[in-house]
Amino acid sequence: MLNILLAGVGGQGTVLAAKLLAQAAEAKGWQVRTAETIGMAQRGGNVVSHVRMGDEGEPVYAPLIARGTADLIVAFEPAEAARVLGYLKPGGTMVCASTAIQPVSAALSSTPYVASEVLQNLAGEIEQAGGSFFAVDDASLVEKAGGRKSLNVMLLACALAEGGLAVTVDDLRRAIPACVKERFVDMNLRAIDLSIAR
Amino acid sequence: MQKQLLMGNEAFAHAALNAGIRVAAGYPGTPSSEVIEAIAEEHAAGRARGVHVEWSTNEKAALELLAGAAYAGARTLFTCKQVGLNVASDALMSLNYVGVKGGTVLFVADDPGPISSQTEQDTRRFGSFAKVPVFDPATPDQGCDMIEAAYELSEAYRTPVIVRPTTRVCHASTFLAFPETTTARDIPAEGFVRSSKWVIFPKRAFEAHGEINERLVQIADDYSTGALAAFNPVEEGGSVQGQRPRLGIVAGGVSTMYAREALRMLAERCDAAGIEVPAYRFMQIGTPYPFPEKAVETFAEGLDQIIVFEELDHVIEDGLLALCGKLHAGYDVFGKLNGYARDRGENTVDDIFDRIARYLGLERVLEAVGSSESETAPLAYDGPLPMRPPVLCAGCPHRGSFYAIKRALGKTPAVLCGDIGCYTLGNAMPLDAVDTCLCMGAGITMAQGFSIVEPEKKTVAFVGDSTFFASGLTGIVNAVYNQHDITVAVLDNATTAMTGSQPHPGTGVTMMGPKSAPVSIEAVLKAVGFECIVHANPFVLEESVAAAKVAIGFDGPSAIIYEGPCISLSKPGEPVSIDAAVCTGCKKCITEIGCPGIGFDAGACGPASGGRGQAFIDRSLCNGCGLCVQVCPFHAIRLPESPNDSASGSRAGGGTDA
Repeated sequence: MLNILLAGVGGQGTVLAAKLLAQAAEAKGWQVRTAETIGMAQRGGNVVSHVRMGDEGEPVYAPLIARGTADLIVAFEPAEAARVLGYLKPGGTMVCASTAIQPVSAALSSTPYVASEVLQNLAGEIEQAGGSFFAVDDASLVEKAGGRKSLNVMLLACALAEGGLAVTVDDLRRAIPACVKERFVDMNLRAIDLSIAR
Repeated sequence: MQKQLLMGNEAFAHAALNAGIRVAAGYPGTPSSEVIEAIAEEHAAGRARGVHVEWSTNEKAALELLAGAAYAGARTLFTCKQVGLNVASDALMSLNYVGVKGGTVLFVADDPGPISSQTEQDTRRFGSFAKVPVFDPATPDQGCDMIEAAYELSEAYRTPVIVRPTTRVCHASTFLAFPETTTARDIPAEGFVRSSKWVIFPKRAFEAHGEINERLVQIADDYSTGALAAFNPVEEGGSVQGQRPRLGIVAGGVSTMYAREALRMLAERCDAAGIEVPAYRFMQIGTPYPFPEKAVETFAEGLDQIIVFEELDHVIEDGLLALCGKLHAGYDVFGKLNGYARDRGENTVDDIFDRIARYLGLERVLEAVGSSESETAPLAYDGPLPMRPPVLCAGCPHRGSFYAIKRALGKTPAVLCGDIGCYTLGNAMPLDAVDTCLCMGAGITMAQGFSIVEPEKKTVAFVGDSTFFASGLTGIVNAVYNQHDITVAVLDNATTAMTGSQPHPGTGVTMMGPKSAPVSIEAVLKAVGFECIVHANPFVLEESVAAAKVAIGFDGPSAIIYEGPCISLSKPGEPVSIDAAVCTGCKKCITEIGCPGIGFDAGACGPASGGRGQAFIDRSLCNGCGLCVQVCPFHAIRLPESPNDSASGSRAGGGTDA
């Protein structure tokens, strides 16, 4: 079983990322189930998408990942990465965008939310458990790509490049045409190239 | 029939179309909304021939409309979320007594958690209350089979049938194949045939009650022995050779899949640790009402104990206990009632894994976690993390409306009645503008109650445009009829925003395509006798505060209509900017309106702020609505200086472009 968790803030595009992974799994002939956060939390709240693939031909039962069993976590925001750390398998990989999205509650509070501390703590925790942690400089990726539109695809590409999983960046490329509108295919493919050419 | 990735609700739409539905109607509500949307999409693409699909004004309107179509023999689909069935319940209770001719399926989505709902009510209970059969799918795939079966059952017994998935089934996606095109089944040639049976009367109701009682017995048998028994599958497991199972595990809905996953994990871990798993028998109850007694009796044979995993209420557990008494059987039941399963909220694979491990006497497996080489203790992050509750979006028109009302009221004592929709989020700090929230449309009528007993306070009822039509109309008529001194603030963002931008009567957009004349909220208010109705653009602060003062000051029912489109309906404008030379770091923009597009950088330094820090604009979120520009006391926030500012710039400066 291959479990991939996507975590972020409502509106960041975790749903498309999950769709791309599902498409990649289907192309390999695996059973796949995904689950989304839809509803109130989408309004700037924390959201997670679960993707479960039967990569050994086994059926997928639950749509949600059990704690401590995610092979890969792709986080779109540092605090959201920390919030879902408990899902990571010891020895698993986490890839996290380094730019913080300040919630209104943090702006109102007197104790600031400092993303660099969160990233540092995450790296420590994960590496201690034998896993890998990668912080992605998403701000520079966005600059290179000329917009935030395909940040989700870029992060996913970075994650698959690092993940050492049976789903690869090439699988992601092949999944693009089935999941995005025709006029956005090239933009997304370019975004993938940009993000792994580091 | 190519496989495609479908969300549960999209798959259910295809399954219903495939069953030949002629009419589909519902009212939006998470987690149910995508069914009607998917049917409309198929219809618009020309792939679903002959179907009529609509968002009705509310759930009651939808179900009654479908009852008419079903009396004439059409297959119909009703959709709503769990609390929506409360609204349609008046129709449902009688409809079951009258019966239907065309297959009638009520797709009612429950929301354990609750994730996006007011209650954790259980529609399986509604089934037993209304005496209507219920299917409870564990996966999207199974839900599709259940929908097909539900139409057959509905027509075989002339009964409405409920299919009740939960959020995790509705919003789970998997690859499924459906026919490219579907055609709605024609109604029978004779159509609606007049008969006294269509008219509910006490005498007829007495007879009908007997018919219902008889058919429920037959349906319970069908669930146990016929084709429908496939929805109540039994499996055996365990690794002890030749052992007869004495332990039973029963699950319903998505908990079935959690339990199967947990049992697989348990088998793997026990295998790795060389521990034997005692024999057990597992059953899914996919048809919880009427309770499939015969199937469960067979399942329970030889069992000493049965543990139950289900979300929301203890419906299956009650069924097992009642059957145990009826049969004088000897099994013990473990579940919500005696603390062996969660009594509320969602189940998880983790929780069920732990409980099953203990139930099967395999505590050693739990202890093994963290002790062997392959198993290390689960990771945890224990540092402080900011809370991230849902908030009104940057550029949301509601922010300006709430803020204007608060400003207009000043220190005047007031009760602010909220309602259901995105604007419930007006309760969050710093707006803090929602004192009550009960159910759809309740704000308007609750305000009237407050005004009777606390006349010294002002009462303002916030209502969204979709909610206004769905459940607000009776309340506004009551305010005029009984002369209550309330102010209704209509937050008209031209859509049903919270559930994902569905149209409603005020937009005139229909799910069939052709536009109808939008129903005017102002015309409605005028027609029922509101004498004070004022308008304001919520992005223009001064205008909005002035309008609020007029309406709140009026003696008698009054209304303010704040018209500003949801950000999902228009292209985002250029973000505003903060002049670092002018920002004093006073935080007023943050503490007054709490927009997610404005953050605070404690380390920023400027000539006016010194070491206090400064506000900054998150350019990825800000869409230049301009409200903060009007809030900053130092004019530090600026609208973008672009030549075509008036066309694409702020909503406050330019027009609204819904």
